[in-house]
Amino acid sequence: MTGRALVRGGLLLAVLAAVVVLPLWVNRTQPYYLQLSINVLIFATLALSWDILARTGQLSLAHAAFYGLGAYTSVLLTTRAGLPIVAGMAAGAVVAVVAAVLLGVLTLRLRGIYFAIATLAFSETLRVITNQVRFTGAATGLVAPPLLGGHRPSQYLVILTILLALTLVSWWVNRSRWHFAFTAIRANEEVAAVMGVDVVRFKVLAFAISALFAGITGAFYAHVFLFISPLEAYSLAVSVGALVAPIFGGLYTTAGPLVGAVVLRAGEEVLRSTVQRGYPIIYGFLLAAVILYMPGGLAGVWASLLARIPRPARRGARGEPAGS
Amino acid sequence: MSLLVLDTLTKSFGGLSAVDDLSLAVRAGEIFALIGPNGAGKSTTFNLISGLLAPDRGRIFFDGADITRTPPHSRAHLGVGRTFQLMQPFHDMTVRENVMVGELFGHTVLKSLPAARRDAEEICELVGLGHLLDRGVTALGLADLKRLEIARALATHPRLLLLDEVMAGLTPTEARQAVASIQGIRARGVTILLIDHVMSSVRDLAERVAVLNFGRKIAEGTFETVAHDPAVIEAYLGQDEADGSR
Repeated sequence: MTGRALVRGGLLLAVLAAVVVLPLWVNRTQPYYLQLSINVLIFATLALSWDILARTGQLSLAHAAFYGLGAYTSVLLTTRAGLPIVAGMAAGAVVAVVAAVLLGVLTLRLRGIYFAIATLAFSETLRVITNQVRFTGAATGLVAPPLLGGHRPSQYLVILTILLALTLVSWWVNRSRWHFAFTAIRANEEVAAVMGVDVVRFKVLAFAISALFAGITGAFYAHVFLFISPLEAYSLAVSVGALVAPIFGGLYTTAGPLVGAVVLRAGEEVLRSTVQRGYPIIYGFLLAAVILYMPGGLAGVWASLLARIPRPARRGARGEPAGS
Repeated sequence: MSLLVLDTLTKSFGGLSAVDDLSLAVRAGEIFALIGPNGAGKSTTFNLISGLLAPDRGRIFFDGADITRTPPHSRAHLGVGRTFQLMQPFHDMTVRENVMVGELFGHTVLKSLPAARRDAEEICELVGLGHLLDRGVTALGLADLKRLEIARALATHPRLLLLDEVMAGLTPTEARQAVASIQGIRARGVTILLIDHVMSSVRDLAERVAVLNFGRKIAEGTFETVAHDPAVIEAYLGQDEADGSR
């Protein structure tokens, strides 16, 4: 094992142990922290699932749409059709995926800001419709049945499992041939296509994976907070939060969006409790500073720190010719 | 045996015809050049062949099969490879990774990442990028970017390679290297259709030449015959030859 791999592996194990044990242990005396941890993990799942879509160059403002669709589908099916919550959550994820594939196909030809606006319009349309329709509770919202009888520690383990599954998917994507397809499409779709990359297939696949996790997280959120309304479930804040964390933590990576989400949400809480008045201003300044002065986000800083650890010469590596 | 056949191909943009009733046959194993003044429709023709544009009329046959409606990535799988006049490297990727995209997706053989990596490195060596494998593409100069264009196209294992102005902007020495490199590619059994403005290179390379003007083919034959064709001289060569023989 190289020094870098040791550092990485050790850190990974420590983090994993900490996220499983700490919140549950803290819960005995300070239930507030378990609640906060659940919030952080919801945010992290949204951030990482948004990033997977962004790896194909599709900067979406529709994440709230998949989150909201997951939430509403699950709540409607469990309350109006009497489905068990697990089935409702699964259905929420499926509906989000179907909507994502449709939106993905419709926006195939749109790039950059036009794509972003189209996805925003999609999300806002769903919010406005939900706000008007009586079946979905209109503006009043809907009461949701509690997941696992409202037992917080179990709920925490559920969202942790969802996030770990997503983390594995993200890790695999960045180490497989998909990574090459996604990165090529992000750089130039036409060149990717003439080099044999099935652009439509990969863009829609990225949409589906992204929405699957946003949808199931939306359903989870509904059954944990027990109430959903169009304003919260389809909130623009969800879409913006999902993209801020990856930019802050490091785009197109697995660790970046996760670390970004944890630091941002935890930092927000610390600020809220220490600087009661005007904390959003400080929060905003910190965010702007990182985005301006740390291109690559926190992950970029981490990579340059790792690069300082001397790395043993790779066996079988060819010598670089002089002057290269 | 013709590898590529264009049958009365027409493409217009808002009433302006870029390619007008163009018919062409490229034989397997030859080097064929498409020349003509700027705006003659050469790049549009390449976009039609590689599938980035759909023709208004006419058909395209590759190895006997009609590919007029085949999407670009499937044409790559059939063996149509191309470079771009304005170099379009994938940013966020090293030279090696750029070429690996072709090895991974450009043909129907499913390759593992290590195999694609090894084969991409081989191609980089072949075109003279072997010492730049780990470089980001933003650090490359013009000649190396042109080499990368060729390397990426080769990585898709093309049977037909479309080269869009790979000589433009090169020094005479670099251009000579490029000519040798293209002859080497043909020697491996790849048919080549190229666009170029560097007439000395076209003369050295191409067995047959077609001249386009305002989207129409105005002459076809060996370089010598088209160079003496009055229509060609009037449309194009007269002016350029005067520049070239200073």
